Formats: sequence, structure tokens, C-alpha cells
Amino acid sequence: MVDLKFVIGDPRVCTGCMICVNVCSMRYLKVISPERSRVRAVRIEPGLDFTLFCRNCEDAPCIDACPEEALSRTSKGIVIVNNKKCTGSGSCVEACPYNAIRINPDTEKAIKCIQCDECIKRCPVDAIWMTTMRELEERDPDGEIWALHDEHSEELYSKEDLQ
Amino acid sequence: MIHGVGGKVIWVDLTKGEIEKRPIEKKLVEKYLLGAGYLSKVLFDSIPTDIDPLSPENVLGFATGLLTASMFPQSSRHVVAALSPLTDVWGESHAAGFWGPELKLAGYDAIFFTGASPDPVYLNINDSTVELLSADDVWGRDVFETDDILRKRHGKRARLIYIGQAGENLVRFAAVMNDRDRASARSGLGAVMGSKKLKAICVRGAGKIEVADPKKYMDTMDEFYRRMLANPFTPGRAKYGTTNLVEMMQHIGRLPSYNMRQGVFEGYEKISGETITEKYLVKPRSDWCCLQRCARYTSVKEGPYKYVGGSPEFETQSSLGSRCGNDNLESVLFGHHLANQYGMDTISLGGTISWAMEAWDEGLLTADDTDGIDLSWGNHESIVKLIKMIAFREGFGDVLAEGSARAAEKIGRGTEKFVMTVKKQEIAGQEPRAQKSMGLAAVTAARGADHLYAFPVLDEAGFDDEIRERFGEEYLPEMAERLNPKYKGIMVKECEDFMVVVESLGLCKYGTQIPPEFYYEDVALALKVHNGFEFTRADLQTIGERIVNLNRLFNARRGVTRADDCLPDRLTKEGAPLGPSKGEVVELDQMLDEYYLKRGWDNETGIPYASTLQRLGLVEEASGMEIPDE
Ligand code: SF4
Ligand code: SF4
Ligand code: SF4
Repeated sequence: MVDLKFVIGDPRVCTGCMICVNVCSMRYLKVISPERSRVRAVRIEPGLDFTLFCRNCEDAPCIDACPEEALSRTSKGIVIVNNKKCTGSGSCVEACPYNAIRINPDTEKAIKCIQCDECIKRCPVDAIWMTTMRELEERDPDGEIWALHDEHSEELYSKEDLQ
Repeated sequence: MIHGVGGKVIWVDLTKGEIEKRPIEKKLVEKYLLGAGYLSKVLFDSIPTDIDPLSPENVLGFATGLLTASMFPQSSRHVVAALSPLTDVWGESHAAGFWGPELKLAGYDAIFFTGASPDPVYLNINDSTVELLSADDVWGRDVFETDDILRKRHGKRARLIYIGQAGENLVRFAAVMNDRDRASARSGLGAVMGSKKLKAICVRGAGKIEVADPKKYMDTMDEFYRRMLANPFTPGRAKYGTTNLVEMMQHIGRLPSYNMRQGVFEGYEKISGETITEKYLVKPRSDWCCLQRCARYTSVKEGPYKYVGGSPEFETQSSLGSRCGNDNLESVLFGHHLANQYGMDTISLGGTISWAMEAWDEGLLTADDTDGIDLSWGNHESIVKLIKMIAFREGFGDVLAEGSARAAEKIGRGTEKFVMTVKKQEIAGQEPRAQKSMGLAAVTAARGADHLYAFPVLDEAGFDDEIRERFGEEYLPEMAERLNPKYKGIMVKECEDFMVVVESLGLCKYGTQIPPEFYYEDVALALKVHNGFEFTRADLQTIGERIVNLNRLFNARRGVTRADDCLPDRLTKEGAPLGPSKGEVVELDQMLDEYYLKRGWDNETGIPYASTLQRLGLVEEASGMEIPDE
């Protein structure tokens, strides 16, 4: 199986500008709307700025949770939403451990990051990049980035406050 | 319909507790844009002439710009305005952050507050829900505590504006704070919030902004991003924020020191941007769509000045540092942090303390006046102590909470001589004898001493090309010469017109004025793709002029004339005692003559001529006023 790709951000480097967030909603929905973006920016003091994307989990609980079988993994390993099938039930939202999939309030269809690279190209400080588990281990051998995510997981992934 | 905006304005009558939503008036927007221009018109019409700024009759306005929450570089800003309790004239202040964009995403462009609430309240906005809630449990709390409590209640994604204790206690230079450490600092508008018993505005917006030209949008913004990132100023701004201005200003003798006796400070290296970056910087920060990232997140790890938070700006290094003869950097950083916590303008804060220090140095203030606090130059423990005493109006802090002009009036004994203000607002960190345009800008600014209303920095750092582009070859080299008063009236006038447009769009002066990367044509293009407006450069220039003239009428109505457009004698009569600008004075009259002429204002009174008002469509506004004929 190919190494699954996903986007990761370094909360120590990210300045919190939200350009990536706006790029995504502009690219896919032609609006500026953090609520409708596939990436969330969460600032946690002191001094951390997280940008949170679909982790492209190997077991992808979102896929299993969907009663309509609207979610599937493509041959390139990307988890995508089939808009024809999606009824907006929200089961995937419930199932995702990273709060990385949500329902677009306008279309009532699920939206999630599909690793397209558009936001990455525009981050002014190169705080985000396309990675794989293997690449990340090489780049961050002490696992500092994951450790920061883990440390704040409750606040980062809590569902009660999407965006 | 206007694209790219919230579309609605909220009016809150705090006396009655009534809330009304109105659609944004497109006609008004075409004439004044949003942000500062919109507030200048609405408040001109709604603030009665002869009122006390801290009375319920004052009207407090908050507005986002036309491009706030767009994707234009540095488009996060909002404006706050009212009659100022510090200057008794037009009060206006701006800040970056995320509050403005959030307000737009909730569907609103501006909020106005009239009257005063009998009990502490805050306004809570959650998309279509707008409600006044009791602020009993946050009244008396500082900015950080208030932020924690209200975000716990309304969700961590909520964005807030608030006052700290300084605003509640009506400190005349209290700031309106937002997003923890961002400040609409000048003009004392935090005290206006306090007088209305308005503690905070909490906003959560889950809406969307629909732009006028979605097809061209991203390409247009990409080009702006490319230019911004390619500008040679950007890396330095990202590395140092504004902090290394200390070194640059020392170099040209423009670093106010020992109140404003001189423009050089022997301890400048200790409070420099280099030192901050090396020892205390945690990381640079950005506000909404900001590529400049001048915001600093810093910490002092141990000792009496331990903290972690957002700070500082050059202005604070100057005001609590060199201006107070203080080279203890940790106290400067901590002082800035405290000012954020209590909600105060660090410029007026440091300017007021340094006035007291000079009066002490001259023997005009003694321990009997100061509750025994030693005000020797550089006594950082006293400075830090005073910050809290001012915010809470304790003892001598109560005197200083009035600002230096009123404090000197109260103390007398010749201390007035050391008041470094224009229209009772403390002059910011630009010793004008070393940059003449800054002296002129300080006196013509509508809100009293101010470097930002015009932000005339084109003579600061070799912007000859931009001067050529924006003004024409014929003004070189004089306009680019910092110490030469020639053409500074023309420069300040043009800079003011452009800067009020920038403040009406919700953009930052970084990127538009320093570095001067984006000008009228660029913002006109942004207005086209974002809002669907087809403004030309000439249209926007006229709007800028209109706003400046309306601000002037607001002040003229309050009695302001040329006589008020003046600097402290020290700056116009006493040559700079040392440093690179040694012997220089500000040739204010010469520059003012040129400025009034260029503006079409009467040279004696400084009031716009009837023909000027006619040209700008301000005849109705001036009705009932004595308007001079050319
Ligand atoms: S949406 Fe959530 S559950 Fe699904 S792959 Fe992405 S992170 Fe995993
Ligand atoms: S990679 Fe593409 S889909 Fe994912 S957040 Fe960025 S822009 Fe959106
Ligand atoms: S664009 Fe880059 S710096 Fe800005 S929020 Fe996204 S990851 Fe952070």
C-alpha cells in the first residue's frame, strides 16, 4: 500500500494568519468562511497556533461510520465524499477522532481535506506541508509536533466547538 | 447590494437596553467607504456638539472596513471612534486581530452604542442573535480574565473586544482591547466604554463572505501575496516586528528620550529589537491574512517581571523605555504586558510618567506629591508600580490617570512646560526635530498628537522612487529629506488622504505606507474583486479628502482652530541638544502654511473654505458653522 499522505502544521512556526483556512473555502466554495473550510486554525496560549487537517487515518473510522457508504478511499489513498450519496447524517463527524470532517451548513454535505496542496502553496511561513507518517518521523525525529498535538488534544479535537 | 460585507449595522441604546439592526446604507458607503470614513460621518451626525465625552450623550462606534475579512494582505482591522475624553475632540483608534473579521462573518459591519447602561453589560453576538447580557461577573476583571471567562461561556472560537480596569476606572487614556493583546489604544476610548458600563463585545460568526468576482479573486490575491513577500521590508518586519525601530531611530536621533528632551538614548542597545529578538521572543504572530507578522509573542522567564504574552511594539520600548530614561528591558516588556492586562495606551502611559519624571528631575514634583514614590529617571520599579496605580486610580496614580496635560494643570508650578502633547494627547515615539514631517503630522491629526493619521514615513528610509511615483519628480530631493521642512505640508496632506482610506478599508499601514507596496490602484482593484466597486484613484483620493475635512469640521465645531495645531515650545523653539539632529527645531509655521494652502483651508483659522467643502460635498454638514470664503 502507498504511504498515506496528509497535511501537517507545526504549531510553533504557524503565526495563525488563517490564510490557509481562507484559501480552502475560496477554492472549494468561492467564499471566505472559516466555518466552511477543510482546515481549522486553533490558537492555544502560550504561543501555539495549530492548523488541523484530515490525518488520513489508515483505519479511517469515518468511512466505516457512514450509513450511506458515501465515503471511500481513492486509488491514491485519499478519503473522499460522494456528494450524491452523502445525506449529511453526521455519522462521520461523530466517528472522526480529529474533528477533521464536518457538514457544510449550506449544502448539508460532508466536507474534508483532500490533500490538494492549494493552502500549502500559500502559507507565508511554510508552517504546513504534505507529509506521510514516514516523512514526519524523519523530519521530526523526536516527535515534538505530535507531542504538542497530544498535549492539547482535548481542546483541539473537541466537537462542541467546531471551528 | 454590496459584496464582501456583513450588510447590517447594529444600534444599541444602552440606557433603554434596546437593540436595532439596520441595513448598511450603500449611498453612505459610496461617499465614505466603511471603517474610519463611515464612523466619521455617522458620528458627526449623531454626537451632539457640547457634551462631556464621558456622558451618556456620547456615541461610541465600532466599524470594520470594506476589505476587513477579505484576503487582501493585512486585512484584519477595525476602528473605534467617539468624542475623546483625552482630547475633547475627534477620537479614533484602530486595531488588528480577528474580532473585525468575526463581526463581518456574523453579518455585521458596524455597531453603535448610545446612552449608558445602569449596570455593567456586554453585547453578545452569535450570528443573528444579538443580546445584552449582564457583565456583573467580569466587571472589575482584567482583560485576560475577561477573555477566559467569556470564551468559556460562549465558545473558544468567540472573538472579543473588552476593557480592563483602566477603562472601568475612566483612565483618560484607557484602551479598547481585543483578542487578548491587541489594542485600539489611543484617544481614551476605553474610558468611553467604561462610562457606558459596557465591558465587552463577544462575537461568534459562522457566516460567509461572498466576493464580487470569485473567478479573479484568488489570482488577484496571489499577485498581492507575491508582491508583499517579495518586498525587501517583509523579512525584517517578520524578524523584528517594530522592535528594531529603536536602533533605527537612535541612528537618526528620533528616539524620544528623557521625556522629550532629546532624540538619542545612551541605553538604546539594552532595549533594542536585537536584544528582544535574541532573548525574549517566542515567535512572531499574525492577525487575519497578515503576511507581515509584526506582532510579537514574548516572555520573560523569571524574576519580578516574569510573564508570557503578546508584546511589545516600538512605541512601548520608546514610551516606557527611552522616554523614561529606562534601560531595564524586562520592566519595559512587563510594563507593556500590564498595560494590555489593565487596558491602557502605552504611549500616553509612558508619556505621562515621563512628564512626571522630568518634573521630578527639575524639582517641581517631590515625594509629597507622589505618595513617596521616587521618580528618578530610569527607576523601573517606580514605573511598574505607577502602571497599576494609574489603572486603579490609586493615590498619585489618580492624578496621572488624567493624562499629562490635565495632571500638569492640576499640579501647576511650571510643570506645564514639560507636557509633550498636542490637543492633550501625548506625542508618540517620533522626536519631530529629527523628522519634520512627523511634527506637522502630529499637529494636523484629527485625534490629537498622532503619527498614524498621516504616517508620513516616505522621508524616513530612502523611498525616493515611491515619492516620484506618488508625487512626481519635481518634489525631489526636498520631500525625501527628513530635516527639510519643504514640501512636508504637501506630503502630509496626501498621506493623510490615503491613510484614512486605508483605515476605511480595514487594511494595515504596513504594506500600504511602510513599505509603500500597495497604493490607490491596488486597493481599487481589491475593492473591485471583493466588493464590486469601480473606484478610480481620483475617486478614492476625493473620499480620503472628504473624510479628513469632515474630521476637521467635527473638531472645528468643538472650537479647534490653527491655534490648537501647535507643538510644545521645546520642539519648535529649543534646538535638539545632541545627537544627529543637534540644533534642529520643527519649522512648524512654514509647514502648516503649506499644508493649509494645499488643503484649501483658511490659513488663519484652519477651517476649510466654503469652496473646499462644496467640492467635497460637505456643505450640508457645515451648515450652522462659520465657514470662511477664499
Ligand atoms: S476525516 Fe477524520 S477519520 Fe476520516 S480519515 Fe480524516 S482524520 Fe481520519
Ligand atoms: S490541502 Fe486542499 S483541501 Fe486540504 S485544507 Fe488545504 S486547500 Fe483545503
Ligand atoms: S497559512 Fe501558514 S501561518 Fe497562516 S495559519 Fe495557515 S499554516 Fe499558519
